[in-house]
Amino acid sequence: MATEPTPKLMLDVQNVNVIYGNYQVLWDVSMQANAGQVMAVLGPNGSGKSTILKAIMGLTPVRSGKVIFEGEDITNRPAHEMIERGISMVLERRRLFTGMTVYENVMLGAYHKSVQKYAKERLEWVESLFPILKERRDQVAGKMSGGEQQMVAIARALMSKPKMLLMDEPYLGLTPRIVGQIAEIIHKVNAEGIAVIFNEQNVKLSFGISNYGYLLESGRVMLNGTGEEMMNSDVIRRVYLGE
Amino acid sequence: MNLAIFIEQILNGLITGSMYALIGSGIALVYGTMKVLNLAHGEFYMLGGYFTWYLAVSLGINPAIAIPAAVAIAFCLGMLIQKLTVEYLILRDNWAFTTIAATMGLSIILQNAALLVFGANFNTVPSYVSGVMVLGDIRISWQRVLIFVVALATIGFMTWLLKYTRLGWSIRATSQDRDAAQVVGIPVKRVYMICFGLAAALGALAAAMLAPINAINPWSGMPVLLKGFVVVVLGGLGSFPGAIIGGLLLGVVEAVGVQLTSSEWRDVISFTLMIAVIWWRPWGLFGKK
Repeated sequence: MATEPTPKLMLDVQNVNVIYGNYQVLWDVSMQANAGQVMAVLGPNGSGKSTILKAIMGLTPVRSGKVIFEGEDITNRPAHEMIERGISMVLERRRLFTGMTVYENVMLGAYHKSVQKYAKERLEWVESLFPILKERRDQVAGKMSGGEQQMVAIARALMSKPKMLLMDEPYLGLTPRIVGQIAEIIHKVNAEGIAVIFNEQNVKLSFGISNYGYLLESGRVMLNGTGEEMMNSDVIRRVYLGE
Repeated sequence: MNLAIFIEQILNGLITGSMYALIGSGIALVYGTMKVLNLAHGEFYMLGGYFTWYLAVSLGINPAIAIPAAVAIAFCLGMLIQKLTVEYLILRDNWAFTTIAATMGLSIILQNAALLVFGANFNTVPSYVSGVMVLGDIRISWQRVLIFVVALATIGFMTWLLKYTRLGWSIRATSQDRDAAQVVGIPVKRVYMICFGLAAALGALAAAMLAPINAINPWSGMPVLLKGFVVVVLGGLGSFPGAIIGGLLLGVVEAVGVQLTSSEWRDVISFTLMIAVIWWRPWGLFGKK
Protein backbone atom coordinates (compact mmCIF):
# COMPACT_ATOMS: atom_id res chain seq x y z
CA MET A 1 0.00 0.00 0.00
CA ALA A 2 2.95 2.28 0.54
CA THR A 3 3.28 3.24 -3.11
CA GLU A 4 0.30 2.99 -5.42
CA PRO A 5 1.23 2.88 -9.11
CA THR A 6 -0.31 6.28 -9.91
CA PRO A 7 -1.45 7.98 -6.72
CA LYS A 8 -4.37 10.35 -7.26
CA LEU A 9 -3.95 13.76 -5.67
CA MET A 10 -6.95 14.49 -3.49
CA LEU A 11 -6.06 17.37 -1.23
CA ASP A 12 -3.66 20.13 -2.19
CA VAL A 13 -2.88 22.73 0.46
CA GLN A 14 -0.91 25.60 -1.06
CA ASN A 15 1.05 28.15 1.02
CA VAL A 16 -1.60 28.54 3.68
CA ASN A 17 -1.21 31.28 6.28
CA VAL A 18 -3.46 31.51 9.32
CA ILE A 19 -3.34 34.42 11.76
CA TYR A 20 -5.20 34.66 15.09
CA GLY A 21 -5.27 38.31 16.12
CA ASN A 22 -1.62 39.37 16.02
CA TYR A 23 -0.29 35.86 16.19
CA GLN A 24 0.55 33.93 13.07
CA VAL A 25 -0.18 30.24 13.61
CA LEU A 26 0.62 28.83 10.17
CA TRP A 27 3.36 30.07 7.84
CA ASP A 28 3.16 29.11 4.17
CA VAL A 29 2.07 25.57 4.91
CA SER A 30 1.79 23.33 1.86
CA MET A 31 0.83 19.68 1.95
CA GLN A 32 -0.59 17.08 -0.38
CA ALA A 33 -2.63 14.00 0.35
CA ASN A 34 -3.58 11.26 -2.09
CA ALA A 35 -6.84 9.37 -2.31
CA GLY A 36 -6.89 6.31 -0.10
CA GLN A 37 -3.88 7.35 1.95
CA VAL A 38 -3.44 7.53 5.72
CA MET A 39 -1.46 10.63 6.50
CA ALA A 40 -0.12 11.87 9.80
CA VAL A 41 0.51 15.49 10.73
CA LEU A 42 3.07 15.50 13.49
CA GLY A 43 4.28 18.19 15.79
CA PRO A 44 4.49 19.36 19.37
CA ASN A 45 1.83 21.42 21.15
CA GLY A 46 1.30 24.77 19.46
CA SER A 47 2.91 23.67 16.20
CA GLY A 48 -0.28 24.38 14.27
CA LYS A 49 -1.16 20.76 13.57
CA SER A 50 -4.73 21.25 14.75
CA THR A 51 -5.09 24.57 12.98
CA ILE A 52 -4.22 23.11 9.59
CA LEU A 53 -7.01 20.55 9.91
CA LYS A 54 -9.47 23.26 10.97
CA ALA A 55 -8.36 25.46 8.09
CA ILE A 56 -8.99 22.64 5.61
CA MET A 57 -12.43 22.06 7.14
CA GLY A 58 -13.35 25.75 7.05
CA LEU A 59 -13.50 26.15 10.83
CA THR A 60 -10.63 28.63 10.87
CA PRO A 61 -10.26 31.45 8.33
CA VAL A 62 -7.31 31.17 5.95
CA ARG A 63 -5.60 34.55 5.53
CA SER A 64 -3.78 33.67 2.31
CA GLY A 65 -3.06 30.55 0.32
CA LYS A 66 -5.36 27.93 -1.09
CA VAL A 67 -7.00 24.66 -0.13
CA ILE A 68 -7.86 22.56 -3.19
CA PHE A 69 -9.92 19.39 -2.81
CA GLU A 70 -10.39 17.18 -5.87
CA GLY A 71 -9.48 20.09 -8.12
CA GLU A 72 -11.92 22.53 -6.53
CA ASP A 73 -10.96 25.55 -4.51
CA ILE A 74 -12.55 25.11 -1.07
CA THR A 75 -10.58 27.84 0.73
CA ASN A 76 -12.69 29.52 3.39
CA ARG A 77 -15.87 27.72 2.37
CA PRO A 78 -18.13 27.22 5.42
CA ALA A 79 -17.67 23.96 7.30
CA HIS A 80 -21.22 22.78 6.73
CA GLU A 81 -20.53 22.54 2.98
CA MET A 82 -17.65 20.12 3.39
CA ILE A 83 -19.93 17.14 4.01
CA GLU A 84 -21.34 17.55 0.52
CA ARG A 85 -17.85 17.50 -0.97
CA GLY A 86 -16.93 14.33 0.88
CA ILE A 87 -14.85 15.69 3.76
CA SER A 88 -15.74 14.76 7.32
CA MET A 89 -14.03 15.56 10.59
CA VAL A 90 -13.62 14.15 14.09
CA LEU A 91 -12.99 17.16 16.30
CA GLU A 92 -10.46 17.28 19.12
CA ARG A 93 -11.83 15.85 22.37
CA ARG A 94 -14.75 14.20 20.54
CA ARG A 95 -17.13 17.15 20.84
CA LEU A 96 -20.25 15.02 20.93
CA PHE A 97 -23.70 16.47 21.45
CA THR A 98 -23.45 15.36 25.05
CA GLY A 99 -27.10 15.86 25.96
CA MET A 100 -28.34 13.77 23.05
CA THR A 101 -28.47 9.99 22.75
CA VAL A 102 -25.88 7.85 20.99
CA TYR A 103 -28.37 7.19 18.20
CA GLU A 104 -29.15 10.89 17.75
CA ASN A 105 -25.44 11.72 17.68
CA VAL A 106 -24.67 9.12 15.06
CA MET A 107 -27.69 9.98 12.91
CA LEU A 108 -26.75 13.67 12.97
CA GLY A 109 -23.67 12.60 11.02
CA ALA A 110 -26.04 11.98 8.10
CA TYR A 111 -27.95 15.21 8.70
CA HIS A 112 -26.93 16.95 5.50
CA LYS A 113 -29.45 16.64 2.65
CA SER A 114 -26.82 15.37 0.22
CA VAL A 115 -26.01 12.36 2.42
CA GLN A 116 -29.39 11.55 3.99
CA LYS A 117 -29.96 8.78 1.49
CA TYR A 118 -26.97 6.85 2.85
CA ALA A 119 -28.17 7.01 6.45
CA LYS A 120 -29.61 3.51 6.75
CA GLU A 121 -26.83 1.69 4.95
CA ARG A 122 -24.15 3.67 6.78
CA LEU A 123 -25.77 3.09 10.17
CA GLU A 124 -25.52 -0.65 9.62
CA TRP A 125 -21.89 -0.31 8.65
CA VAL A 126 -20.82 1.87 11.59
CA GLU A 127 -22.77 -0.35 13.98
CA SER A 128 -20.81 -3.30 12.64
CA LEU A 129 -17.57 -1.40 13.18
CA PHE A 130 -18.61 -0.40 16.69
CA PRO A 131 -21.10 -2.92 18.12
CA ILE A 132 -21.32 -0.76 21.24
CA LEU A 133 -23.35 1.80 19.28
CA LYS A 134 -26.16 -0.66 18.89
CA GLU A 135 -26.04 -1.84 22.51
CA ARG A 136 -26.11 1.73 23.82
CA ARG A 137 -28.39 3.40 21.26
CA ASP A 138 -30.53 5.22 23.81
CA GLN A 139 -27.78 6.18 26.24
CA VAL A 140 -27.01 9.88 26.64
CA ALA A 141 -23.63 10.36 24.94
CA GLY A 142 -22.16 12.54 27.69
CA LYS A 143 -22.40 9.66 30.18
CA MET A 144 -20.03 7.39 28.22
CA SER A 145 -16.31 6.87 28.83
CA GLY A 146 -13.75 8.77 26.75
CA GLY A 147 -12.99 5.79 24.52
CA GLU A 148 -16.65 5.05 23.90
CA GLN A 149 -17.26 8.70 23.10
CA GLN A 150 -14.41 8.65 20.58
CA MET A 151 -16.08 5.70 18.86
CA VAL A 152 -19.37 7.61 18.67
CA ALA A 153 -17.50 10.62 17.27
CA ILE A 154 -15.80 8.52 14.58
CA ALA A 155 -19.08 6.78 13.74
CA ARG A 156 -20.78 10.15 13.43
CA ALA A 157 -18.10 11.36 11.03
CA LEU A 158 -18.39 8.21 8.90
CA MET A 159 -22.16 8.50 8.45
CA SER A 160 -21.82 10.97 5.59
CA LYS A 161 -19.87 8.50 3.43
CA PRO A 162 -16.78 10.72 3.28
CA LYS A 163 -13.91 10.38 0.83
CA MET A 164 -11.58 11.95 3.35
CA LEU A 165 -11.73 11.84 7.15
CA LEU A 166 -9.89 14.45 9.20
CA MET A 167 -9.15 13.43 12.80
CA ASP A 168 -7.95 16.03 15.27
CA GLU A 169 -5.89 14.28 17.97
CA PRO A 170 -7.87 11.04 17.92
CA TYR A 171 -5.76 9.49 20.69
CA LEU A 172 -5.85 12.38 23.13
CA GLY A 173 -6.66 11.29 26.66
CA LEU A 174 -7.32 7.65 25.80
CA THR A 175 -5.86 4.55 27.46
CA PRO A 176 -3.36 2.44 25.46
CA ARG A 177 -5.94 -0.32 25.00
CA ILE A 178 -8.41 2.10 23.44
CA VAL A 179 -5.66 3.67 21.34
CA GLY A 180 -5.06 0.21 19.86
CA GLN A 181 -8.75 -0.15 19.07
CA ILE A 182 -8.92 3.27 17.43
CA ALA A 183 -5.83 2.46 15.32
CA GLU A 184 -7.54 -0.72 14.17
CA ILE A 185 -10.62 1.29 13.24
CA ILE A 186 -8.48 3.70 11.20
CA HIS A 187 -7.18 0.68 9.27
CA LYS A 188 -10.70 -0.56 8.64
CA VAL A 189 -11.87 2.87 7.55
CA ASN A 190 -8.94 3.17 5.18
CA ALA A 191 -9.62 -0.31 3.81
CA GLU A 192 -12.97 1.09 2.63
CA GLY A 193 -11.03 3.51 0.44
CA ILE A 194 -11.42 6.51 2.73
CA ALA A 195 -8.37 8.75 3.02
CA VAL A 196 -7.51 9.60 6.63
CA ILE A 197 -5.53 12.58 7.85
CA PHE A 198 -4.88 12.70 11.58
CA ASN A 199 -2.56 14.64 13.82
CA GLU A 200 -0.65 13.36 16.78
CA GLN A 201 2.32 14.22 18.94
CA ASN A 202 3.66 10.72 19.33
CA VAL A 203 5.81 9.90 16.30
CA LYS A 204 6.12 6.16 16.90
CA LEU A 205 2.39 5.78 17.40
CA SER A 206 1.68 7.71 14.22
CA PHE A 207 3.80 5.66 11.89
CA GLY A 208 2.29 2.47 13.14
CA ILE A 209 -0.72 3.31 10.99
CA SER A 210 0.15 6.02 8.49
CA ASN A 211 2.04 5.75 5.24
CA TYR A 212 2.98 9.40 4.86
CA GLY A 213 3.63 12.23 7.22
CA TYR A 214 4.33 15.92 7.68
CA LEU A 215 6.19 17.41 10.59
CA LEU A 216 5.15 20.88 11.71
CA GLU A 217 7.09 23.12 14.04
CA SER A 218 6.03 26.63 15.05
CA GLY A 219 3.56 26.68 12.19
CA ARG A 220 6.02 25.68 9.45
CA VAL A 221 6.47 22.40 7.61
CA MET A 222 9.89 21.09 8.70
CA LEU A 223 9.85 17.73 7.02
CA ASN A 224 7.69 15.39 5.02
CA GLY A 225 8.01 11.90 3.64
CA THR A 226 6.95 8.30 3.95
CA GLY A 227 6.85 6.70 7.36
CA GLU A 228 10.18 5.04 6.78
CA GLU A 229 11.86 8.22 5.57
CA MET A 230 10.51 10.14 8.53
CA MET A 231 11.61 7.55 11.09
CA ASN A 232 15.11 7.57 9.62
CA SER A 233 15.48 11.33 9.42
CA ASP A 234 18.03 12.93 11.70
CA VAL A 235 15.62 15.53 13.06
CA ILE A 236 13.05 12.97 14.08
CA ARG A 237 15.60 10.60 15.56
CA ARG A 238 17.32 13.30 17.56
CA VAL A 239 14.38 15.38 18.75
CA TYR A 240 11.43 13.02 18.88
CA LEU A 241 12.87 9.59 19.41
CA GLY A 242 15.71 10.74 21.64
CA GLU A 243 18.34 8.64 19.89
CA MET B 1 -59.21 30.84 53.29
CA ASN B 2 -61.90 29.11 51.30
CA LEU B 3 -60.55 25.97 49.60
CA ALA B 4 -62.38 26.64 46.33
CA ILE B 5 -60.84 30.12 46.08
CA PHE B 6 -57.45 28.66 46.83
CA ILE B 7 -57.77 26.05 44.07
CA GLU B 8 -59.08 28.72 41.72
CA GLN B 9 -56.02 30.84 42.44
CA ILE B 10 -53.69 27.92 41.76
CA LEU B 11 -55.44 27.28 38.45
CA ASN B 12 -55.24 30.96 37.58
CA GLY B 13 -51.57 30.82 38.51
CA LEU B 14 -51.01 27.90 36.16
CA ILE B 15 -52.78 29.81 33.38
CA THR B 16 -50.67 32.94 33.88
CA GLY B 17 -47.66 30.68 34.29
CA SER B 18 -48.33 29.02 30.95
CA MET B 19 -47.93 32.46 29.34
CA TYR B 20 -44.74 33.10 31.32
CA ALA B 21 -43.58 29.74 29.97
CA LEU B 22 -44.15 30.80 26.35
CA ILE B 23 -42.31 34.07 26.92
CA GLY B 24 -39.46 32.46 28.85
CA SER B 25 -39.04 29.61 26.40
CA GLY B 26 -38.36 32.14 23.62
CA ILE B 27 -35.60 33.74 25.67
CA ALA B 28 -34.26 30.27 26.53
CA LEU B 29 -34.27 29.18 22.88
CA VAL B 30 -32.23 32.19 21.78
CA TYR B 31 -29.85 32.02 24.73
CA GLY B 32 -29.49 28.25 24.41
CA THR B 33 -28.48 28.30 20.77
CA MET B 34 -26.72 31.65 20.31
CA LYS B 35 -25.73 32.54 23.88
CA VAL B 36 -27.38 35.89 23.24
CA LEU B 37 -29.47 37.49 25.96
CA ASN B 38 -32.12 39.16 23.83
CA LEU B 39 -33.17 42.37 25.57
CA ALA B 40 -35.59 43.09 22.73
CA HIS B 41 -37.62 39.96 23.44
CA GLY B 42 -40.33 41.97 25.23
CA GLU B 43 -40.79 44.05 22.08
CA PHE B 44 -41.65 40.95 20.07
CA TYR B 45 -44.40 40.39 22.63
CA MET B 46 -45.50 44.02 22.30
CA LEU B 47 -45.48 43.90 18.50
CA GLY B 48 -47.34 40.58 18.52
CA GLY B 49 -50.04 42.29 20.58
CA TYR B 50 -50.23 45.16 18.10
CA PHE B 51 -50.32 42.85 15.07
CA THR B 52 -53.20 40.95 16.67
CA TRP B 53 -55.01 44.14 17.57
CA TYR B 54 -54.51 45.59 14.09
CA LEU B 55 -55.67 42.46 12.27
CA ALA B 56 -58.50 41.48 14.62
CA VAL B 57 -59.84 44.89 15.63
CA SER B 58 -58.83 47.47 13.01
CA LEU B 59 -59.30 45.14 10.04
CA GLY B 60 -61.96 43.03 11.76
CA ILE B 61 -60.45 39.71 10.74
CA ASN B 62 -61.64 36.62 12.63
CA PRO B 63 -59.20 36.00 15.53
CA ALA B 64 -58.79 32.37 14.43
CA ILE B 65 -57.04 33.77 11.35
CA ALA B 66 -55.71 37.02 12.79
CA ILE B 67 -53.72 35.33 15.59
CA PRO B 68 -51.85 32.82 13.40
CA ALA B 69 -51.18 35.64 10.93
CA ALA B 70 -49.80 37.88 13.69
CA VAL B 71 -47.59 35.04 14.90
CA ALA B 72 -46.37 34.38 11.35
CA ILE B 73 -45.53 38.05 10.84
CA ALA B 74 -43.61 38.07 14.13
CA PHE B 75 -41.72 34.94 13.04
CA CYS B 76 -40.60 36.60 9.80
CA LEU B 77 -39.79 39.87 11.55
CA GLY B 78 -37.71 38.00 14.14
CA MET B 79 -35.71 36.26 11.42
CA LEU B 80 -35.19 39.51 9.54
CA ILE B 81 -34.02 41.38 12.64
CA GLN B 82 -31.64 38.56 13.56
CA LYS B 83 -30.21 38.59 10.05
CA LEU B 84 -29.72 42.38 10.09
CA THR B 85 -28.33 42.81 13.60
CA VAL B 86 -27.33 39.86 15.75
CA GLU B 87 -25.83 37.73 13.00
CA TYR B 88 -23.03 40.24 12.39
CA LEU B 89 -22.10 40.31 16.05
CA ILE B 90 -22.18 36.72 17.25
CA LEU B 91 -19.45 35.40 14.99
CA ARG B 92 -16.93 37.91 16.34
CA ASP B 93 -14.68 37.60 19.34
CA ASN B 94 -15.83 39.35 22.51
CA TRP B 95 -19.33 39.70 21.16
CA ALA B 96 -21.11 39.01 24.45
CA PHE B 97 -21.45 42.66 25.36
CA THR B 98 -22.06 43.90 21.83
CA THR B 99 -25.20 41.77 21.51
CA ILE B 100 -26.50 43.08 24.84
CA ALA B 101 -25.97 46.65 23.65
CA ALA B 102 -27.40 45.91 20.22
CA THR B 103 -30.55 44.20 21.49
CA MET B 104 -31.07 46.96 24.04
CA GLY B 105 -30.88 49.52 21.25
CA LEU B 106 -33.21 47.39 19.18
CA SER B 107 -35.68 47.36 22.05
CA ILE B 108 -35.73 51.17 22.16
CA ILE B 109 -36.04 51.44 18.38
CA LEU B 110 -38.97 49.00 18.28
CA GLN B 111 -40.74 50.79 21.14
CA ASN B 112 -40.47 54.11 19.35
CA ALA B 113 -41.46 52.59 16.04
CA ALA B 114 -44.61 51.24 17.72
CA LEU B 115 -45.26 54.65 19.27
CA LEU B 116 -44.94 56.29 15.86
CA VAL B 117 -47.15 53.80 14.06
CA PHE B 118 -49.76 52.93 16.68
CA GLY B 119 -49.65 55.87 19.09
CA ALA B 120 -49.42 55.85 22.89
CA ASN B 121 -52.94 54.63 23.61
CA PHE B 122 -53.75 51.40 25.36
CA ASN B 123 -55.38 49.04 22.88
CA THR B 124 -57.53 46.08 23.84
CA VAL B 125 -58.96 43.22 21.91
CA PRO B 126 -62.40 41.79 22.77
CA SER B 127 -62.42 38.35 24.39
CA TYR B 128 -62.13 35.52 21.89
CA VAL B 129 -64.63 33.46 23.83
CA SER B 130 -67.17 34.67 26.37
CA GLY B 131 -68.65 33.14 29.48
CA VAL B 132 -67.31 31.44 32.55
CA MET B 133 -66.49 27.81 33.14
CA VAL B 134 -68.10 26.62 36.38
CA LEU B 135 -66.81 23.52 38.14
CA GLY B 136 -68.55 23.28 41.49
CA ASP B 137 -67.43 26.36 43.39
CA ILE B 138 -64.58 27.07 40.98
CA ARG B 139 -65.19 29.70 38.30
CA ILE B 140 -62.72 30.46 35.52
CA SER B 141 -63.48 32.49 32.39
CA TRP B 142 -63.40 30.54 29.14
CA GLN B 143 -60.93 33.12 27.83
CA ARG B 144 -58.44 31.94 30.46
CA VAL B 145 -59.18 28.31 29.72
CA LEU B 146 -58.49 29.02 26.05
CA ILE B 147 -55.18 30.67 26.97
CA PHE B 148 -54.15 27.55 28.85
CA VAL B 149 -55.19 25.17 26.08
CA VAL B 150 -53.30 27.18 23.45
CA ALA B 151 -50.22 27.34 25.69
CA LEU B 152 -50.26 23.57 26.29
CA ALA B 153 -50.72 22.88 22.58
CA THR B 154 -47.81 25.21 21.76
CA ILE B 155 -45.55 23.63 24.36
CA GLY B 156 -46.50 20.19 23.00
CA PHE B 157 -45.76 21.33 19.45
CA MET B 158 -42.38 22.83 20.40
CA THR B 159 -41.40 19.71 22.34
CA TRP B 160 -42.29 17.54 19.34
CA LEU B 161 -40.41 19.88 17.03
CA LEU B 162 -37.25 19.81 19.14
CA LYS B 163 -37.34 16.09 19.78
CA TYR B 164 -38.41 14.55 16.49
CA THR B 165 -37.89 16.87 13.53
CA ARG B 166 -34.76 17.57 11.48
CA LEU B 167 -35.02 21.22 12.44
CA GLY B 168 -35.31 20.29 16.11
CA TRP B 169 -32.27 18.04 15.97
CA SER B 170 -30.27 20.78 14.29
CA ILE B 171 -31.36 23.30 16.96
CA ARG B 172 -30.39 20.98 19.82
CA ALA B 173 -27.11 20.03 18.17
CA THR B 174 -26.20 23.68 17.51
CA SER B 175 -27.01 24.68 21.07
CA GLN B 176 -24.81 21.90 22.45
CA ASP B 177 -21.78 22.42 20.21
CA ARG B 178 -21.63 24.94 17.40
CA ASP B 179 -18.43 23.65 15.79
CA ALA B 180 -19.53 20.03 15.90
CA ALA B 181 -22.87 21.04 14.37
CA GLN B 182 -21.10 22.77 11.48
CA VAL B 183 -18.88 19.79 10.96
CA VAL B 184 -21.84 17.44 10.49
CA GLY B 185 -23.23 19.83 7.90
CA ILE B 186 -25.71 21.92 9.90
CA PRO B 187 -25.90 25.50 8.60
CA VAL B 188 -25.70 27.10 12.04
CA LYS B 189 -26.34 30.64 10.80
CA ARG B 190 -29.67 29.51 9.43
CA VAL B 191 -30.47 27.68 12.67
CA TYR B 192 -29.76 30.90 14.59
CA MET B 193 -32.08 32.84 12.34
CA ILE B 194 -34.90 30.33 12.69
CA CYS B 195 -34.50 30.21 16.48
CA PHE B 196 -34.81 33.97 16.68
CA GLY B 197 -37.93 33.79 14.55
CA LEU B 198 -39.40 31.04 16.72
CA ALA B 199 -38.69 33.05 19.87
CA ALA B 200 -40.41 36.10 18.39
CA ALA B 201 -43.37 33.93 17.37
CA LEU B 202 -43.70 32.48 20.88
CA GLY B 203 -43.66 35.98 22.39
CA ALA B 204 -46.21 37.20 19.85
CA LEU B 205 -48.49 34.26 20.54
CA ALA B 206 -48.43 35.01 24.27
CA ALA B 207 -49.34 38.62 23.55
CA ALA B 208 -52.13 37.60 21.19
CA MET B 209 -53.66 35.31 23.79
CA LEU B 210 -53.31 37.90 26.58
CA ALA B 211 -54.50 40.84 24.48
CA PRO B 212 -58.13 40.62 25.76
CA ILE B 213 -56.84 40.74 29.37
CA ASN B 214 -53.74 42.94 29.18
CA ALA B 215 -54.03 46.07 27.05
CA ILE B 216 -51.16 46.68 24.64
CA ASN B 217 -49.13 49.88 24.44
CA PRO B 218 -45.61 50.60 23.17
CA TRP B 219 -44.09 49.91 26.60
CA SER B 220 -45.86 46.61 27.28
CA GLY B 221 -42.70 44.66 26.48
CA MET B 222 -40.48 45.70 29.37
CA PRO B 223 -42.36 44.10 32.31
CA VAL B 224 -42.78 40.98 30.17
CA LEU B 225 -39.04 40.84 29.54
CA LEU B 226 -38.35 41.05 33.28
CA LYS B 227 -40.78 38.20 33.97
CA GLY B 228 -39.15 36.24 31.18
CA PHE B 229 -35.76 36.68 32.84
CA VAL B 230 -37.11 35.39 36.14
CA VAL B 231 -38.47 32.36 34.28
CA VAL B 232 -35.21 31.48 32.54
CA VAL B 233 -33.17 32.01 35.69
CA LEU B 234 -35.53 29.69 37.57
CA GLY B 235 -35.40 27.05 34.87
CA GLY B 236 -31.72 27.38 34.01
CA LEU B 237 -30.59 29.76 31.26
CA GLY B 238 -31.00 28.20 27.87
CA SER B 239 -33.04 25.18 28.96
CA PHE B 240 -36.33 24.83 27.08
CA PRO B 241 -38.03 22.39 29.51
CA GLY B 242 -36.60 24.52 32.33
CA ALA B 243 -38.37 27.59 30.97
CA ILE B 244 -41.68 25.71 30.79
CA ILE B 245 -41.48 24.45 34.37
CA GLY B 246 -40.04 27.78 35.54
CA GLY B 247 -42.94 29.65 33.96
CA LEU B 248 -45.63 27.45 35.49
CA LEU B 249 -43.90 27.53 38.88
CA LEU B 250 -43.62 31.31 38.81
CA GLY B 251 -47.30 31.66 37.91
CA VAL B 252 -48.42 29.46 40.79
CA VAL B 253 -46.09 31.00 43.37
CA GLU B 254 -47.22 34.49 42.36
CA ALA B 255 -50.90 33.56 42.53
CA VAL B 256 -50.61 31.97 45.96
CA GLY B 257 -48.32 34.74 47.19
CA VAL B 258 -50.71 37.44 46.04
CA GLN B 259 -53.56 35.59 47.73
CA LEU B 260 -51.63 35.64 51.00
CA THR B 261 -50.47 39.26 50.71
CA SER B 262 -51.80 41.68 48.12
CA SER B 263 -51.39 42.22 44.41
CA GLU B 264 -48.81 45.00 44.86
CA TRP B 265 -46.47 42.31 46.12
CA ARG B 266 -46.58 40.31 42.86
CA ASP B 267 -43.17 41.42 41.53
CA VAL B 268 -41.58 41.28 44.96
CA ILE B 269 -42.70 37.66 45.22
CA SER B 270 -41.38 36.70 41.80
CA PHE B 271 -37.97 38.29 42.29
CA THR B 272 -37.69 36.86 45.81
CA LEU B 273 -38.36 33.41 44.35
CA MET B 274 -35.70 34.04 41.71
CA ILE B 275 -33.10 35.15 44.26
CA ALA B 276 -33.92 32.18 46.50
CA VAL B 277 -33.39 29.80 43.61
CA ILE B 278 -30.10 31.52 42.73
CA TRP B 279 -28.87 30.95 46.29
CA TRP B 280 -29.89 27.36 46.30
CA ARG B 281 -29.07 26.38 42.68
CA PRO B 282 -27.25 29.16 40.81
CA TRP B 283 -27.55 27.16 37.60
CA GLY B 284 -31.35 27.02 37.88
CA LEU B 285 -33.69 24.11 38.36
CA PHE B 286 -32.84 22.42 35.05
CA GLY B 287 -29.62 24.10 33.92
CA LYS B 288 -26.21 22.52 33.98
CA LYS B 289 -23.65 23.46 36.60
